Amino acid sequence: MRRVYAVLAGLMMAAVVVQWYLAAVGAFDKPQDSDSFALHGLNGMMVIPVLSLLATIAAAVSKVPGRLIGLTILPLGLIIVQVLIIALGSAFDDSSGNTTPLSLAVLGLHAINGMAIMGVSASVFNQARKLLKAAPEPVAQAS
Amino acid sequence: MTPATLMTLDLLAAVVTAAAWLGSGVAAASRRPRAALAVLGVAILASLTRVGVVVALSGAGWWFVQEKVVVALPLLLVTGVTATVVAVPRLTRAADPQPSVVVALLAAGYAAVGGLAGTLLLGYPATLGSALAITAAVAGATLLTWRIVAGPGRSPRIAIAVTAIAGVAGVGLAFVPPPTMDDGRDQSLTAAMGYHGGGARLAVAGQEPGRPVTSFRGPDSPSPGGVVRRYSLTARTATVTLSSGQKVAAWTFDGKVPGPPITANVGDLIEVRLRNADIASGVTLHWHGYDVPAGEDGVPGLTQEAVMPGQEFVYRFLADRQGTYWYHTHEVSSLGVKMGLYGTLLVGPPPAGVDLALPVHTFAGRTVVGDRDQPLDRQAAPGTPVRLRLINTDDTPHRFTLSGTPYRLSSVDGTDLNGPGELGRVGLRLPAGGRYDLTFTMPADRMVVLRTDDRTTSVRLSPGSSAGAPEEDTAGWPDLDLLRYGTAAPAPISGSSRFDRDFTLVLDRGLALSGGRPMYAYTVGGHAFPSIPTEMVSSGDLVRLTVVNRSRDIHPWHLHGHRVLVLSRDGRSPSGSPLWLDTFDVRPGEVWQVAFRATNPGLWMNHCHNLVHADEGMALHLAYEGVTTPFHGAHGG
Repeated sequence: MRRVYAVLAGLMMAAVVVQWYLAAVGAFDKPQDSDSFALHGLNGMMVIPVLSLLATIAAAVSKVPGRLIGLTILPLGLIIVQVLIIALGSAFDDSSGNTTPLSLAVLGLHAINGMAIMGVSASVFNQARKLLKAAPEPVAQAS
Repeated sequence: MTPATLMTLDLLAAVVTAAAWLGSGVAAASRRPRAALAVLGVAILASLTRVGVVVALSGAGWWFVQEKVVVALPLLLVTGVTATVVAVPRLTRAADPQPSVVVALLAAGYAAVGGLAGTLLLGYPATLGSALAITAAVAGATLLTWRIVAGPGRSPRIAIAVTAIAGVAGVGLAFVPPPTMDDGRDQSLTAAMGYHGGGARLAVAGQEPGRPVTSFRGPDSPSPGGVVRRYSLTARTATVTLSSGQKVAAWTFDGKVPGPPITANVGDLIEVRLRNADIASGVTLHWHGYDVPAGEDGVPGLTQEAVMPGQEFVYRFLADRQGTYWYHTHEVSSLGVKMGLYGTLLVGPPPAGVDLALPVHTFAGRTVVGDRDQPLDRQAAPGTPVRLRLINTDDTPHRFTLSGTPYRLSSVDGTDLNGPGELGRVGLRLPAGGRYDLTFTMPADRMVVLRTDDRTTSVRLSPGSSAGAPEEDTAGWPDLDLLRYGTAAPAPISGSSRFDRDFTLVLDRGLALSGGRPMYAYTVGGHAFPSIPTEMVSSGDLVRLTVVNRSRDIHPWHLHGHRVLVLSRDGRSPSGSPLWLDTFDVRPGEVWQVAFRATNPGLWMNHCHNLVHADEGMALHLAYEGVTTPFHGAHGG
């Protein structure tokens, strides 16, 4: 089961790397339209949350330390913060819906929080791998 | 405070609430009872603040608080009270917090996060399914926390089973298809009976012989005295050169952006032959704001098939109302219009003097008026009557200012206002898709300058070479409130009229199924196109639309085939001229009520004219009973 956990944690980290790539794809797309960030949105709203959830279930089933279980679900929590940053940022747009210095100051945090998601998922993957190396499949029978 | 401010405050309060409950739990877990108690105090205060904000927000309407009152606050109340009762006595003794304290505090944190996630990710309305899913997620996280904090022990099998069943049931319910139609008769009955109520009505309608939407076409000949105005437009890709020399790769009609102007006088028959040379995704022509017969409306998949490369389609309709309108493609319109597939439609007789049609569009980040990305300079002799026709062909509003002369906003969306007064030093906010006609008499000694968004000079009218341009900072000018402009006059419909059909459209963002595919969509009533129930009307019905925006974006609402009369905004009726609009901006937190008489039978799009939003779900159909479509109807974007 810990192997499954490590694989899911690896997939989650890979999905986050892809997410950064897709952000750049969206930023450079011309003209900016509904499809510019479509893949970024799909990956961020569907793929990463589902992987985070599955990895957390795998972590719980394979009885890894509680802190690591919490860390594994954290990317999902931080994605809620990502949406929140956009929501709060747009609340400070001007009445035409154009950005203002204040809304941009808030919206820029989307990248900072994105780095946190990257860091957390990398840390999760590292720890999952370490557990696997330390004791390959130690509780496979127990779970 | 405005509902929009309260919506933001609610989000902030929800974040602080979640952070404080979680923080208190983490402090307890790391054996810091005093810190845990202090943060618990913050959590209780934040929770009460959130309740207060929700109560204040409920004054704007039930739609703004439904998911909070039904799901988020009850969850927070149960877990928060439990956590307070469990934690406060134990933490005040400053002993090592027991597992029960840690779990109770974190459970309240999970509940706070769950409620916030419901608002942000699912939106309006909370359903049995979403309530079950959120509750199960909170319960699951709590059970897992208990397992981690308390260590291995006897598993609470029943609790685990109930949580799992609730979670699966909640997610499963999300896949139950919504009703296919809304008859607008009795909101509570429609909601309660769901599919069956609508289905029964449809069966009755189905027994009558249906009339295909393609049979509603324009006449073959003009009115007496009118002529036939023949146009031929060929859609093709081209590189257009703006006035500055900037080259833009565009999708064009006849190689030009905007496309050729279509003009006619009242009584004329307009006949437009549309050909597609090489627009691979197809094109159509939609006559924005012109209430043409349904078969001429140009909605692919609903009133016609998209015109593919090598094909053609002939549109024919009577010019029966004068004013400023525009045309654009309706096939993948979020891209097609942006790329340049639009033009002006002006129905006269043309006025004397200077008459300028000014479609405003954004190309490559530049504000372009007509085909100019530099100011348009024109001479106009003093005393000349001038009409500037502003047309917003973008997805977002533009703010215009006119300096150098007093003027009148004489016409909105092609309809003359009643008793428009003189204006000066105000900003005119034009919704995406909307039109304003400004009229004034050219002054003798000053330039008249039109600015867009307070940064781009779009038009400079000069009475002679000596006049200077007014150097004014227009950014501080207040917005004109259209609902208080002009003189009141009797209108055929009022808020106290008896409406045959009453529809409510609640605009939000959330995860929704769009034709079976899950997406983070722009939603109407929690659904995304093409899964939003079709609004059913009968010929002659008096119809009221209530449009509620609880999202954080501006939504320019646009109904095809009908002008709508504004009844109220946020509960207040217009005090100025009656307002007949085809596109109205519903800003975050606003509630608009508009009405129309159903006198143009057919199948019509009813959608957000931020075409990106329409493309991502915010579009639905309004159908007359007994009208059918031979097309697949799967899109209409």
